[in-house]
Amino acid sequence: MTTAFWIQTGGSLVAVLVVAWLVGRIGLGADPRIADAEHAIRLAEEAEAGFGGVEVARDRAGFAAIVRNAEGRMMLVRAHGNFFAARPVDASVIGRLDKDFLTLTMAERTFGAVTLHLGKEAGMWASRMREIARA
Amino acid sequence: MPELPDPVVYAVPAFILLLLVEMVVSLRADKSRYEARDTLTSLMLGTGSQVAGALVGAAVVGMAVWVHQFRLFDIGLAFREWWWAWVLCFFLDDLAYYVFHRSAHRVRWFWASHVIHHSSQHYNLSTALRQTWTGFFSLGFIFRLPLFLIGFPPAMVFFCAGLNLIYQFWIHTEAIRRMPRWFEAVMNTPSHHRVHHGVNPRYLDANYAGVFIIWDRMFGSFVAERDDEPVRYGIVKQLGSFNILWAAVHEWVGIAKDVWHAPWRHKLDYLWREPGWSHDGSRATSATIKARWAAGLPVEEAAEQLSRHPGLDPGSPSFTAMKRDPGSSPG
Repeated sequence: MTTAFWIQTGGSLVAVLVVAWLVGRIGLGADPRIADAEHAIRLAEEAEAGFGGVEVARDRAGFAAIVRNAEGRMMLVRAHGNFFAARPVDASVIGRLDKDFLTLTMAERTFGAVTLHLGKEAGMWASRMREIARA
Repeated sequence: MPELPDPVVYAVPAFILLLLVEMVVSLRADKSRYEARDTLTSLMLGTGSQVAGALVGAAVVGMAVWVHQFRLFDIGLAFREWWWAWVLCFFLDDLAYYVFHRSAHRVRWFWASHVIHHSSQHYNLSTALRQTWTGFFSLGFIFRLPLFLIGFPPAMVFFCAGLNLIYQFWIHTEAIRRMPRWFEAVMNTPSHHRVHHGVNPRYLDANYAGVFIIWDRMFGSFVAERDDEPVRYGIVKQLGSFNILWAAVHEWVGIAKDVWHAPWRHKLDYLWREPGWSHDGSRATSATIKARWAAGLPVEEAAEQLSRHPGLDPGSPSFTAMKRDPGSSPG
C-alpha cells in the first residue's frame, strides 16, 4: 500500500462523510408511515407475492404493522429509511407484551426489535401469534 | 506489463459533481430519492470496495498476465495501429460483463458477492458506488480471462473495463426518464437499468447489460420499463438494516448456514443453484415469485409472461392452485 493510496482512501472517507451529512442537512429524505390497513396489505404483498393479507394490526403512529393472511401466517412490516421492510413472524419473535404495546424481537439481529402500539388489540395479536407456533 | 492510467480515478471528481447535481434535482423533484443513512452506507461500501480491490489488484493483474502468455493472437496496445482491436476489446469486454452479470444473478455463489450492489431500496447515483467487497473471493474475474486468451493485452482489457464501469455510473438515476429511441434501442440507459434493479416480479432477472442493451435483446433477458408499473428497488428480502458489514457479507453468511444445515447431497446445490433455491422447496426463487404473480394476472397477460419467461412453471402447485382460486392471488 503506497502513501498515495492511503491519502486517496482518507480523502474518500472525508468526502463520503461530507456528502452523507449534506443529504440530511439539505432536507432530503422522507418519513414513511403505513397509512391504513390497505396500505399494510399492499406492502406485505410486495414483500411476498401471493401473501394475500386479510387482516391488519397497525401501529398507532403507522411505523409498523402486522398483516395476517387467510392461512393464519403473519408478516411484520416496518419503516426502514424512506421505505419499508418486512419479515414473517410467529410466536418465537414475541419479545414483550406491555398493555397496549407489543414488542417483537427478531432472531435476525440487524433487523432489530420493533415495538407496535396496538392499543387493546395488542394482547389478542400476541395470542394469535402464539398459535402460529402451536399450529 | 505496459501500464495505462486507471480511467476510474480521473472520473471520480465527475462522479462527485454529478452526485451533488442529482441531490439538488431530488430536492426539487422528489426528496425521498435520497436518505442520509442509505447514502452513507452506499458510499462506505464503495470506499471499502476500492480498498478490497487494491488489496487483491496485484493478484488479478498477475493472473491476467499469466493467462495472456497462452494467447492465440498478438495484439498491440498502440491505438493508431490497433484502433480496431481497442473497439473490439471494449465490445467483447461488455459481452463478458453480460455473461458475468447474468451469472451473478443466477448462481448464488456469484450473487453473494454481487448482492451488495442491489441491497439499497434507493436508486440514485450513490447506489452506483455501492460495490462488492468480495469480488475476488467469488472468482468473478474468471469471466474476463477469455479476453486475455484471445490476445488482448491485460492493460487494454483493464482500461476498457474501467470505461465500462464509468459508463454504468450515470445510468443509476431516476432523474432521467427516457433517452432518445435510437439510444434506448442500442445502449443501456437509466430506464433499462431501473428495471434491472427492480424487485417487482415483472422486472426480476432482466437487463443484465453493462453498456450495450443489445445483449439482453439478443439473449432474451430484456424487459422494458412500464409507465404503469413504477419500479420498486432492492432485493426480494429487503435488508432492513444500514449495517455496512452486514450488507457486504449477509449472503455469504446465509450460504454458510445453508451448507452447514443441508443434507450432504444438497450442500453444493446451495452454492451453484439460483438465489432462493432450497432443497425442500420452502423458499422462493425468482421463477416461483413470477409464477405466483402471473397466477394473479388476467389470462392474456399471464400467457404473455409465460411465453417471455420459459422458466415459469404453469404446472407448479402454487401456480395451478392460484389459478383455480383467483381470490388468493396477488393484486
